[in-house]
Amino acid sequence: MNRREFLMASAAASLAASTRFAAAATKLDLYTSSDANISDFFSNVVKPAFEAANPGVELNVVIARPAAALDAVVQRALAALASKSDPQLDVIEQYEPMLPAGGIEAGLWTDFQKAGLANYGAVNKLAIQTAYGLPYRGSQVLIAYDSTKLPKDKAPKTFADLVAWIKANPGQFIYNRPDKGGSGGNFINRVVHEVSGRDPQKFKVDNFNQATADEVLAKAWAVLNDIAPSLYEKGAYTSGNSASLQLLAQGAVTMIPAWSDQVLQAIAKGVLPETTGLVQLTDLALCGGFSQAVVPTNAAHRAEALKFADFMLSEEMQTAVIEKLGGFPGVDWSTLPQALHDKYADVIPSSIPTFPSGEWTKAVQDGWYRNVAPNISRT
Amino acid sequence: MIAALRSGVAGGRLSGLLLVALPVALLIWLVLWPVLQAIVGTVYFPGTGFSTASYAYFFTDAYSLRNLWLTLWVTALTSVLRVAVAMPIALYLRFRSGPVAALVQALALFPMFVPSVLVAYAFIRVLGPNGIVDTILVALHLPKLASPYLTPAGPIIGLVWDGLPLTLLLLLSGLGRVSIASVDAARDLGAGSFTLFTRIILPRIQSSIIVTLAFNVLGLFSAFTLPFLLGPASPEMMGPYMQRTFSDNADPLNATTQAVITFAFCAAFGLIYVRAIAKGRKAPA
Repeated sequence: MNRREFLMASAAASLAASTRFAAAATKLDLYTSSDANISDFFSNVVKPAFEAANPGVELNVVIARPAAALDAVVQRALAALASKSDPQLDVIEQYEPMLPAGGIEAGLWTDFQKAGLANYGAVNKLAIQTAYGLPYRGSQVLIAYDSTKLPKDKAPKTFADLVAWIKANPGQFIYNRPDKGGSGGNFINRVVHEVSGRDPQKFKVDNFNQATADEVLAKAWAVLNDIAPSLYEKGAYTSGNSASLQLLAQGAVTMIPAWSDQVLQAIAKGVLPETTGLVQLTDLALCGGFSQAVVPTNAAHRAEALKFADFMLSEEMQTAVIEKLGGFPGVDWSTLPQALHDKYADVIPSSIPTFPSGEWTKAVQDGWYRNVAPNISRT
Repeated sequence: MIAALRSGVAGGRLSGLLLVALPVALLIWLVLWPVLQAIVGTVYFPGTGFSTASYAYFFTDAYSLRNLWLTLWVTALTSVLRVAVAMPIALYLRFRSGPVAALVQALALFPMFVPSVLVAYAFIRVLGPNGIVDTILVALHLPKLASPYLTPAGPIIGLVWDGLPLTLLLLLSGLGRVSIASVDAARDLGAGSFTLFTRIILPRIQSSIIVTLAFNVLGLFSAFTLPFLLGPASPEMMGPYMQRTFSDNADPLNATTQAVITFAFCAAFGLIYVRAIAKGRKAPA
């Protein structure tokens, strides 16, 4: 390409770019702080489909990791609400609508029950925790194991079985640091549930209390320190969800806690072998949850944001959540094709306990670093 | 800057100052100002006045001190190991030439072009459990490697490899000051390799070694990726610890305090570096 051709080509390109900007008059800012499999799903699956269905709207996927980065964005939106300015935020793919404190009272989040979404009626009633969050996908932590080393009928079904198995098979179990991915975090939360009477309802986003926390968490640390010497390398903890999956794939360990969507995706891609077994505890399942999308009431493109929320509940997107993401649908299974229902019968959960974000999670995570992580003996 | 000032001509002095004005302004705006803000922000609280409580907390909190101590010894050990590994390669490259030397140089400088995330994953595949080294050992009917993955040795091995090129380049530039004639003369007088190194080469490159160590310390103190991906969950190096305090604990005050303390250590090494440079400038070239 000579200079003249280059100049002509760049002039043509800039002309094309300017007309494209003219066409895409509306840029919808979608924020996410989820793992790369989720942000990839939005960039590669949702974005093209939504833009094809809504000409003139561009979906701008903004990755705001870690979660605390998103907290700052939400604080900005709350401040913008008070000063009646543009929050520069239209949708968050997943956020706890109970946060920030006072947000709902101030009228920050859109009430989806009153938003008039055509597909809202199809939403799974079990998944709705609040009208201010739209549950459009779910996933849950379960136990993944190598069925060539552990036969399916010997896999632990209760927490007591799991602890017994870990101790009987030293070096074969590992979970990741709680703040670096929820699979390890929810394993720890399951321990917290175990020592507090297996009642997830005891922990709510607004009922944190230091005295209760000290008492309950001390018991949880005792259980975790008890199993620590039986973990991989006598108490090593991986740096994230994927690092645990990698150790399982390399055959270095036999069992890990893993997110259902990530492990199903890994099996589908051949990263984990077909012989990977999955089991959920039956006395109380490991935590999981439905991801709740939120739309600020002061969003500059609120109408398009609600159109987007409705689009996420469409059969096309809900099927994509199951097939492309390995997640659970946010809508009721009965509203989806029967063939899909039959194919995924094994992973359809009967219950999904949750653990609140905010103060409780902070106490669990920092407490774990101070009380469990250092107790490692390499001798 | 020094060259411009040395010219002694008034015009040269002015243009010299103009040349440095932009970097100095950037330094003040992007480095010194935030540092000042951080220091003031951790000791002065509008409305309540001065308090050094967050520093008192850091220096009485056993967990924080353990993290600081780990950072110090990992930094010290890694810096020394980098120089120890790079020195023989640098000596070889200084006094040899030809295709083999070119290949050695290319291999030694290669890590410079590899992002540390890739280093971490390559490390896990090679030295991790059931990695390539284990596969080879098993094929030879030898016991498996005690993998350094997720132990304090993990980040040290990764950081030594990652920092080898810069260390090597700094040492090579220092060795450029050792004349081959003086080495040959010492050899003719019967000096052995060891004597040659300790009596002729080492005295000439002393300041280079100090500069190399100071550079390494500054980089290592803030290392994040490799300690995070390859190291144990606890104790944490200051980089991951600061990040976790800031974002997971949503505790900017203590995170900033940790940053100021880390900065103080780095500033001390920066001072050693500046003094070594100044000394090198004074000494006849």
